[in-house]
Amino acid sequence: MIEYKGVYKAFDEPVLSGVDLLVESGEMFALFGPSGTGKSVLLKTTLALIVPDMGDVCIDGQSAYYGGRGTLEQIREKVGYVFQYAALFDSLNVFENIRMGLPKSTLTRMTEKEVAHKAWEALELVNLEPRLILSKLPDELSGGMKKRVGIARAIVGRPEILLWDEPTTGLDPVNTAAVERLITQLSEELQVTSLLVTHDVEGGLEMCDRVAMLEGGRLRFCGTPEEFKDSDDPVVQAFQDRAAAYAALDVLDVR
Amino acid sequence: MNGNNPSANTAIPLPLQAVLAPIGRVAHTVAEHAGEIAILLWSVGRAYTEFRVSGREIARQVYIMGVQSIPIVMVTAGLAGIVTSQQGGYQFTGSIPLYVMGSVVTESVVLEMGPVLTAIVLVGRVGARITAELGTMKVSEQIDALYSVGRDPVEMLAAPKILAGIIALPLLVGIANLFGILAGMYTAQLTMGLGYESFFYGARLFWHSWDLLYSILKAVAFGFAIPTIAIHMGLRTGGGAAGVGLQTTQSVMFMTLTILIIDAMFPPLFL
Repeated sequence: MIEYKGVYKAFDEPVLSGVDLLVESGEMFALFGPSGTGKSVLLKTTLALIVPDMGDVCIDGQSAYYGGRGTLEQIREKVGYVFQYAALFDSLNVFENIRMGLPKSTLTRMTEKEVAHKAWEALELVNLEPRLILSKLPDELSGGMKKRVGIARAIVGRPEILLWDEPTTGLDPVNTAAVERLITQLSEELQVTSLLVTHDVEGGLEMCDRVAMLEGGRLRFCGTPEEFKDSDDPVVQAFQDRAAAYAALDVLDVR
Repeated sequence: MNGNNPSANTAIPLPLQAVLAPIGRVAHTVAEHAGEIAILLWSVGRAYTEFRVSGREIARQVYIMGVQSIPIVMVTAGLAGIVTSQQGGYQFTGSIPLYVMGSVVTESVVLEMGPVLTAIVLVGRVGARITAELGTMKVSEQIDALYSVGRDPVEMLAAPKILAGIIALPLLVGIANLFGILAGMYTAQLTMGLGYESFFYGARLFWHSWDLLYSILKAVAFGFAIPTIAIHMGLRTGGGAAGVGLQTTQSVMFMTLTILIIDAMFPPLFL
């Protein structure tokens, strides 16, 4: 369970103005909103990658900010984070990148063979052929492959929670659909809580149990995908219309 | 009508504000950098005392900063020795005994040129690289990715580099001193016909054993300052590729200035 309590963050101007949000255990949750409304900032506050000016984030009741250094380390061990542009360590090869996804406490108890097995397994889960890419550097991979390796690094430690920051950004519709299938498949297979920040409204509504919309640093909507589609809030409706128009442009672009 | 202009409602006259505002901005920036460097060094200190820094990574960094810099340091120090010797010869020939050249070259190289030129070379070869590398990692979210997988970038990236700088610089300065003196001695023999024995006689005549320690102490200070500033500047990079370029330029500027300031502080403190 992820609980955001009055999260406030400003960079000169306020980006998040006191966000309260609860993502239940085992739930798949999508966070929508126009660009610059603080979706990624909110996601980053979960692991203290960005520290809020006020408020707190609790993971399964443990406070990320008031629980001490040990608590934050425990939280980071149980949460996997998939970055928008994969954020692979470019001086390390695919195997070393995935190895970094294993918690330090786990690594010290494992043999190199066990680590290699885990990396192999993680790559297979994201539908990549381990034999072909384990020794490759990130520069030698395509955009879609980088994303998958980034996902493999996030899931190799078998986290209880997965945070997805725009996982389909920059991908063509074919790869977008493949990554979306992967998100659903992994969330079900690994039985994790997933919080997904995305611009792909259609995909998010299809995949998730509940959705929320941020607007101007505040939570504008929170509910089921059906409630979102039927919402009579003009801001939510306008956002849906814009998202649908962009999605249509994307399809036309590919054709 | 000045309701939106906060300065219009203060008691300070506008001309004075025009003078004070830039001073305040500079003071704010200096305080911000000082605070961030203090936090960085505190974290680095904790990583050392808790034995969380990899010995292998320190050795790798010593190799990159030290061993790989030897050729350029040798060339720079050699040229410095040659120039000092030639200029000294031009000034002193016919006025004072030529064996004094031994002292001029040795003291110039050991006290000043060896440490300072080596540090300047390292600013370009190592400092700029560290800032650009960490800056790129910052803007491409690799630093965030390290935190997200429970690794501490200070422990993995910063601490080994700072200790490696403190180890590598004195070794490089030792090599630079040796090559500078040898090049100066050879040049003096070629251009003025000053024999090696006379050169060494002059060098010994004004030599203090403290001079070498002074040179090494400078090297330690520079070896600490270069990676510390480079890391600090790298970790506060923002704004994509352009941000990395800008930050690297500023970093080189700060490192060079810091070296010259430390250099200027050394004589009153230690000589």
